Parts: sequence; structure tokens; C-alpha cells
Amino acid sequence: MQIEIEIEFKVNGKEYKMNVCPTLRLVDLLREKLGLTGTKEGCGEGECGSCTVIMNGKAVNSCLVLAPQIRGREILTIESLGDNGQPDKLQKSFIKNGAIQCGYCTPGMLMSAKALLMANSNPSEEEIKIAISGNLCRCTGYNKIVNSIKEAADGN
Amino acid sequence: MNEELKYVGQTFPIHDAPQKVSGELVYVSDLSLPNMLYAKLLLSPIAHGLVKTIDTSRAEALPGVIRVFTYLNTPNKTYSRYRIVPNQDFCLEDERLFTEKARFVGDRIAAVVATSLETAQEAVSLIQVDYEVLPVLSTPEEALQDNNTRIHPAGNLIYQYEFQLGELGLHNNDCLVVETTTHTQKVHHAALETHVCVADFNSSGKLTIWAACQGAFGVRTIVADLLELNYNKVRVIKMPMGGSFGGKQEAIIEPITAFLARAVRRPVKLLFDRTESIIATMTRPATKTRIKTSVTRDGILGDFIVDTVLDAGAYATSSVDNAYAMAKKICKLYRIPYYEHKGKIVYTNTPVAGGARGWGAPEIMTALEIHMDAVAKRISMDLVEFRLKNLVHPYDIDKASSLSLGNARVIECLEKGAAEFGWNERHYREPDKGRYRRGVGFACAAHKNGMYGGFSEHSTMTLKMNEDGSFILNTGLHDLGCGTITSINQIAAEVLDIDPSYITVLEADTEYGPYDFGSYGSRVTYICGACAFEAAKRVKEKILESASFILRKPKQYLKAANGKVWIIGHEQQTISYREIATIAKTKDNTDIVITHTYHGTSNPGVYAVHFAEVEVDTKTGRVKVTDYLAVHDIGKAINPGMVEGQIQGGVQMGLGYALYEEVKIGKDGKILNSSLANYHVVNAPDMPLVKTLLIEQGGDEGPYGAKSVGEIAFVPVAAAVINAVNNALGTALSDMPLTPEKIVAALQSK
Repeated sequence: MQIEIEIEFKVNGKEYKMNVCPTLRLVDLLREKLGLTGTKEGCGEGECGSCTVIMNGKAVNSCLVLAPQIRGREILTIESLGDNGQPDKLQKSFIKNGAIQCGYCTPGMLMSAKALLMANSNPSEEEIKIAISGNLCRCTGYNKIVNSIKEAADGN
Repeated sequence: MNEELKYVGQTFPIHDAPQKVSGELVYVSDLSLPNMLYAKLLLSPIAHGLVKTIDTSRAEALPGVIRVFTYLNTPNKTYSRYRIVPNQDFCLEDERLFTEKARFVGDRIAAVVATSLETAQEAVSLIQVDYEVLPVLSTPEEALQDNNTRIHPAGNLIYQYEFQLGELGLHNNDCLVVETTTHTQKVHHAALETHVCVADFNSSGKLTIWAACQGAFGVRTIVADLLELNYNKVRVIKMPMGGSFGGKQEAIIEPITAFLARAVRRPVKLLFDRTESIIATMTRPATKTRIKTSVTRDGILGDFIVDTVLDAGAYATSSVDNAYAMAKKICKLYRIPYYEHKGKIVYTNTPVAGGARGWGAPEIMTALEIHMDAVAKRISMDLVEFRLKNLVHPYDIDKASSLSLGNARVIECLEKGAAEFGWNERHYREPDKGRYRRGVGFACAAHKNGMYGGFSEHSTMTLKMNEDGSFILNTGLHDLGCGTITSINQIAAEVLDIDPSYITVLEADTEYGPYDFGSYGSRVTYICGACAFEAAKRVKEKILESASFILRKPKQYLKAANGKVWIIGHEQQTISYREIATIAKTKDNTDIVITHTYHGTSNPGVYAVHFAEVEVDTKTGRVKVTDYLAVHDIGKAINPGMVEGQIQGGVQMGLGYALYEEVKIGKDGKILNSSLANYHVVNAPDMPLVKTLLIEQGGDEGPYGAKSVGEIAFVPVAAAVINAVNNALGTALSDMPLTPEKIVAALQSK
């Protein structure tokens, strides 16, 4: 019989209380238990950033966060962006500036970008590149992603 | 081509952008079906050995395990994961679902199907295997020398090519001979989404496969033939993909998943983790290419002798064709009086090689452009001038295929690019002597547009008009995340003269949709785009015929624009597409629908010249790419923003190919870096700004004059960067990737 622990946490503004295995990864909790499949897994070891979510204001690799660590924390996933089907400024900028091709890195990229803009509303290009340095993209070559984040920030 | 285009030539976002930014798009790994089971594989930990005994009893006894499969309880039938069509040449069928002999670290030994992924993983660890270890042949040289150790029964040399084109010794007088050797390495495609498949089989007798693939019809052929099902009982649905770059173009995971689903009669999901994707799918092949050419003192190429060895890894898959493709490229780029090509394809006990973006062109063109710089230096000629003397001209005949190269504008690319990049000033400046040294390099490249001249291939599309004047374009297309659907949408919209949002373009479904050969050989824009163009043209004619019936006026008196039709001279009395569609249906029993099959009748060259500036830290050997210009002879950019995006992505991949990426194999066949922690892919801080310059001169049979971009975007990158590094340091490095260790060693030995 597996040990279970009780955890209370918030995801996208909604409160949850569940019993989970203590080695449950946040990425699996989100995707399997909450059905929030917008967060992706690309490597399982914190190298690619596809699983990036925001936890208490910081971008984290959800594949490296274990259930006990999310106790009392607020998590934001890609599903929290936008308003009732209307994309937010960042999402609109990504669409307009061609920052999306296959889309697999996109949720993680957007969450890293959002975490950056939450902390720094007018980042330099260097600061943007560092903020997304842990988000790998194989399709776009990053130029348009960086431009998109810059444009979304400039509007502030 | 001079009329104002409304939709073609505009930048639209990728068609499913809203779903991608919201996280709504369902990829195969997000797919969950009722009653679904999870599969996990046991992969061989050794590079070469017979499976002496295999005990699955403890795994089978674990609660939640449904079945365990090995070579003992699965079909003995072999297949080729590369097969696209039934009677295809060079499809060596040397692979089984599960092997009785491990031929590389990562070979498939067993599969567990269980009620959860965790259970399946635990069960895999409970399978006990005894191997009779065999000698490991980790390089082609070892494999060719060892006559006693056979990786497959027929021997380690899979195939060899040898051919000659043209006239030997044409410029025998006063020629210099230059020889170079280039090693290209095994590379992981590194699509962000790993390999995954879902399959289901039930009492309908139908197998359904949700595949992230580049050729649904090829997957169907392989799976149906392997499992002995009729093709009408196997449905392959092409799903959204998190990138492929060729890594998902062969049926690696689909046959296994399909077999498992059929065996357990429930949906099964097989998801590879990153390590499994690196070692147990396919890699770009490692190659060794020796080029020996003769050149006159005033820079005209004479005899061009090429010798390549391609490391196929443990199974042949596409390697014979891949090596052949390498042999057909150089004559698309340069005018060569005599071309000789020898190629060997060799088995090794290493991860399986397969097609990767460029499919032989990057491998051979990197060697070629490193060689061309060496030749120019040997005869003390300017690097650009030397190319200009030998590059092909528009409408030259490609010696290797006997086809016209079409409106081949590579000379224009080189001249305009050199001017734009400031090549002369940068190249002829005083070389740096301190710790940080800058250098510049460029490389020319050629690729193709489809398979005409090599393979028979075609695309079928059905374009139907809905009663409200909107359209459905049903195709067998595979969007790899690169914008295929969007550009096909734009082409159809341009012909029909209606906003692209009125046309839905569907992707490959072997049951619900028409046939397409697949996303290979840079055929999609040139062939599939042309098919969409032709289908739309024919539907437009039918619309006008119906309008003619409604307006009671022959077609030649009618004009159509913006989804409306009117009699010339009576612009105020328009009828809309909606009215035409509805009236045709209800009053004339006419359904406006066309099915069109298109195949190519030409295969022009597509060209690019890339320029790179680098800064090398001679103390650490680290290379920074400080400036980059990519010039492309694209014919016509259907969607310029996406073309630029493809080029920038190709450069990211090419920088990795030149400097960082390699799947490293030890002498014992063990993979030394099977994780993104030590397999280095370029990230945002290390990526330079990539400027692009598009040459749009049309002239060939693609839609609106368009030529390909996805593969050619990658082909010249590595050579441009390597040539720049060699320029900065005065070295002649050609053993890829140019790691800091190799650079420091080269500087120390100078």
C-alpha cells in the first residue's frame, strides 16, 4: 500500500485539497489529476522547460516539483492566461509575431515570460533571453519569441 | 505573377495558434481514451548480445499488469520502418517488434502493458534477461574490418554505391589536386515532444492509430502488412505534433503500439521519455566524406571524386536511400565536368540512423563547402570568386538526375548576400591575434522540391463548397508544426479569392481523407501546394459555371472577386458564393466539389547561401556566433513570416550541428549522453539574431512560383559556421562538432 499525504494548494485561483503519493510530481498532478494538459513534459529532468508553471510568483519546472512542495502554494498554469477565451497581451503578441510553430514549448515559454513580466515590466532583450534560457525551442530559433515578449512588455 | 496577391505573400499566424497559446491543443501525449492502458518497453542495456533467457513471470504477476511481450510471443515477421509504399526498393526488412538479439543499447527486448504507467515501469524492472554478450562494433571501420562478428546475417556492409558522371580529366593541364575529409556526427532531432502513439483495436475488427507522424499512409502500409490486416481495417489519424524534423518520419513506435492494442483489444498509449527518444528511435546518420578534386589555376573545377561511409546503426531503415541522396546533391550546386561517387552503408552496434532534416544534403554539403574553402585557399583565390566561377546557372541540367535545375538563383543569392553582409570588409580585415578572434564564413547549398525524378509520388485533395459559401479542403497533409496547413490555406484562398478563414484545411486520415505520399523530400509546398492550387482553380470554374446558370450569362461575361460574382458591367448586381452554393444545390442538383490528384513534372533546385560571423575565445575554445545572414532563393514566399521562422529554426539546429550536438557512443556501444543535461541544444541566450533575405524570382511550377524552405534552411548552416571558425583561427577543422576541446587542441598543436 502506498503512503499518501494530504496537501492543500491553489491552481489558477481555485483551491484544492487532495490525498496524493508524496513522490507525485506537480506536472503529473496537473495533467493527470486535474486534467490540465496545457502544461507539457519534454524531458522530465528540468532541462527543457516545457513543463514551466508559476509557483508563488516564480517560474518553476513542474517536473522537478514534488507534491509536498506545493502545500499552501499558488500555482498558475497556461490555462490561467487570457480571459474567457480571449488571449491576453502576451498570447496575442506571440500569435502576431510568429513565435509559435509546433507549439510544444509555447505553454512553458509563455509562463516563463509571464513570470518575468510579473517581476519586471520593462525587461531588456538580455533579460528576456535569460528568463527563457531554460525553455528550449527547436522550431523558431527564438528570435520571434524574444520579439514577442519585448513587444508585450513595451505596451506596459 | 504580377497581379496583386491578397493572401499569398502575406504573413498569417499558424492556423492553430489560439489553441497552442491557450494550452488547449491536444497532442498525442495529452490523449486519454476510456479503458486505456499504458505500455513501457524494456530496452537492451548492452550493445550486442543474444537473449539467452528471458523470465517475465515476476512482471506478469504484478497487479495491474495485463500482458508482457517478448520475441517469444510476438510475430517472427520482419519489417522496414522506412517503408512508405508496398513495393518500394531498398526497404531492408531487418527489424522485428522485439528482438532475440540485441544489436544496440536501446534495442527493444520486451513490452509491458499495464493499467498505469507506474505499474508498467515497475513491471519492466522485474523482467530478467540473460544475454550472451557478443563483440561490439561501434564504428563503421570496425564493422567493415571484423569478418567474424555479423550484426545481421548478411554481413555488416549493407550496400555500396559507385557511379561516374561526365568526362574524366577534362582539365588535365595544369591542375592542382585538393583533398579534404569531413566527419559528421550522430545527432538527436530533439523535437520538444518525445515519441508517442496511441492505438486501439476492438470488435469492429478495425485498428485505429493516433500517430504523430509524417506519413500516415506509410504507417498504414507497414502496420497492416505486419499484422496482416486489410488496409481498410487500419485507420491512421495524423495528430498535432510537437516537432519532428524527420525523427518521426519512420514508423518506429506505431507498429509496436498497434500490435499491443490488437493483442489486448483495448486502447494502449506508448510514450517514450527523453532518454528513450534519444537512444531508441533514430538519429541523424554519422558520415565520413572524403572529397578529392582537381582544379585549374584559374579556379575551374575538373574531376570531383567523393567517397562516403554512412553509419546506419543497428538497423538499415532508410540508410541506403539516405546515402544515395547524398550522392545526388553536389551536381545541383556546382558545374562539375566529372563527378564520381562511392558510398558505403554499414551496420554498427549503435543507435539506429534515419532521415533527418535535409536527408543527406547537410551531411554532403557541409563536407562540400568545407572542401570548397580549402580549394580556394589552395589556389589563393577569393572564396566568393571561386564559387561564382563554378556555381550552376539558371536552367542548367543537373547531371545526376538529368532534370533542369529550373530558375536556379544561387549566384544571385551569393552576390546579394555578400554585399548585404559586407563580406569583403569583414573577410579582408586584419586578423585578430589576441584571445578573442573574429572570423567570417559562408556556405552555399542546394536541395530539391519533391521526389520527381526519383520516386513516383502524388497528392490528392478534395475541395468542397458548403451551402454558405465556405469550404472544406480535405487533404492527406501532415503539418509538423511548420505552417503547412496555413500556407495551403493561403493558396486556396488566393485562387478562390476569399478570406482564408472561410476555408478549413484537414490533415491526413487514411479513412476519412485522400491519399498523400507524406511530408518528405521537401515536396509539400511544391507538390501539395500545387495540388491545392489546381483543385481550387477547378472549383472556381465550377462556381462560375453555377453562377452562369443562375445569371443566365456565359462564363466569359462574368467576373468573380471577394467571394462574389457579377456580370461585367453590372457590378452592383452581385451574387455571393453563399447564394451560388445554395441555389446550385437546391435548384440545379449541383454539388460544387472537386477531387484532384497532382504529381510533379519537374524538380528544380532550391538554393541558399548563409553567412556567419563568429568570435572564438581561444582560451576556452567557446564559439559565439555574433552575426548571421541567410539568403534564400525561395521562388515565392507563400507566408514570409513563416519562411523566416523556418530559416531561423534551421539556423538554431545548424549551430548545434556545427558546435555542440552529438550523440556520443563509447567503444562498448554505451551512449554517453542520453539526456538533455549533456546533449546540448542551443538556447535563447546563445542564439544570434538571424537576418534573412529572400530572393523571389519564381519561374518554376510551384504554386505562385514557390520553392521549398524547411530543409534547405538547415543545409548550409554548419559549413558557414565551421568556415567562419577556420577563418578566425587559421585552422582547417572538419571533425564535427567543433567542441571547445577540439578547438583548444587544434590551437595548441599549431
